[in-house]
Amino acid sequence: MIFFVQYVIRRALQNIKENLFPNLTAIGIIAISMLIFSAFTLIAFNLASFLKIWEDKIEIIAYLKRETPLKEVESLLKNTSRLEGVDAVRYVSPSDAMAFMEAKLGSQKNLLEGIQPGVLPSSFEIQLKKEYRNSTRIKEVVSRLRQFPQIEETQYGQEWVETFSALVHILRVTQWILGGLLLAAMIFIISNTLQLTVSSRREEIEIMHLVGANPAFIQVPFYVEGLIQGFFGAGLAIFFLFLLHKGFFLYIPPSIQTWLAGIPILFLPPETIGRILLGGMVLGIFGSFVASVRFLKYSE
Amino acid sequence: MIHMSHVFKTYPSHITALTDINLEISSGEFAFIHGASSSGRTTLLRILFGAERPSSGEVIVNGMNITQKGFNKIHQLRRTMGIVFQDFKLLRDRTVKENIAFALEVTGHDKREIKRRVSEVLEKVGLQEREKDSILALSAGEQQRVAIARALINDPPLLLADEPTGNLDVEMTMDVMRIFTELHHRGTTVVFATYDTELIKRHPYRVIYISGGRRVDVKREDEVRTGG
Repeated sequence: MIFFVQYVIRRALQNIKENLFPNLTAIGIIAISMLIFSAFTLIAFNLASFLKIWEDKIEIIAYLKRETPLKEVESLLKNTSRLEGVDAVRYVSPSDAMAFMEAKLGSQKNLLEGIQPGVLPSSFEIQLKKEYRNSTRIKEVVSRLRQFPQIEETQYGQEWVETFSALVHILRVTQWILGGLLLAAMIFIISNTLQLTVSSRREEIEIMHLVGANPAFIQVPFYVEGLIQGFFGAGLAIFFLFLLHKGFFLYIPPSIQTWLAGIPILFLPPETIGRILLGGMVLGIFGSFVASVRFLKYSE
Repeated sequence: MIHMSHVFKTYPSHITALTDINLEISSGEFAFIHGASSSGRTTLLRILFGAERPSSGEVIVNGMNITQKGFNKIHQLRRTMGIVFQDFKLLRDRTVKENIAFALEVTGHDKREIKRRVSEVLEKVGLQEREKDSILALSAGEQQRVAIARALINDPPLLLADEPTGNLDVEMTMDVMRIFTELHHRGTTVVFATYDTELIKRHPYRVIYISGGRRVDVKREDEVRTGG
């Protein structure tokens, strides 16, 4: 077994060394394919992060009737927090509402002079659980809230939530369709490129067959070669994507930079980088398998 | 050593290469498979070393029934035989020694064993002085001797040769035939496919004549030998 592993690694490295040009071509093609895929992943990741910021802002404001006594507010708060889908509830008294408005108006807060906090209704700010932050499920919570006689009105920015839900849906569908198409194209391109490296050694494979080399001795070095190509291709793709990500901030006009100030443009998290490297290696092995299956057959 | 019974081979393009071939070749025998171009002799040889599977019939080589359903030990079958081709099938970017050693490297032998065996076979084919030479520096006859050396590396009891002298002049042909004859005298079974009638006339071995994919009656062997 140790001999076999040593042989396979030695043979794969020797194959790469002896066929440097086809191997570098394969690594380059894998890198380009993976770069396109990684760039797409990075865009999707940032869009998802951006939508997550929006998603966190989704909440329901339930305005209480003015005549609701304070002792009822406490039990209503408990009942509301027990509702399915509710994550947290905060009571906003008329004074809190006034302080909030003053803070919002800033230097123009004198506009509120003469207005008593009592004119403002007290309310509940209801944070929802993650799975309830979409147009369908938020309605379920709202309809339950409306069953409480102390609640006069609910607001959650219906149109905005619906737009947000549609955006998330489009992003997910696009991610799957484009991701699938990109993956299929990558498998096609990579397997065809790896066919170059395999066919450049057709004579060698033929001789290996003739002398009775064990199929594993013929095939496994090719798969290891594909794995190495996939690893370096994916590694290069991540390196170039990192440079592009850095360059994006260096070369964008200041006006856009100001606009983007509030939006974090993130790089891929380590686990996604790990998955891309692993994906590159799997693609390399799979591509080698598809490319070599024709040449590695012992009989016709 | 070789048993073929009612062997048929038809390609997916409906071209029939072999029809009802029955054949027995005993251990230690030297047999020519003789036939004109497209007669089916190469197909017959390819079936013997498992490069093609017959459409029907039974083929047993070196005790292995290669037509048995699910037979997947072709690599093991090939380790019991040496195969030599007209076009030598050598790696042109390597030396004589590397070409021969390659056959042992890929079958899992260690370096010391490889060195020992390579020296032995180079001596058998008379190329011990040229082990470090590039294949491209050799004549066609010498290249064929390298191919024979590689075929002998596992000391196989059976040697299959498909037109091994097809690319050689008369002198080189005689040189290569001398090696095959020597191997036969040492007990190796040799199956030698050729279209060369002159070659057959000069060697007193059994001839199996193939024409249009069929084995022609044994009486024709004498006709071949006498040029009839």
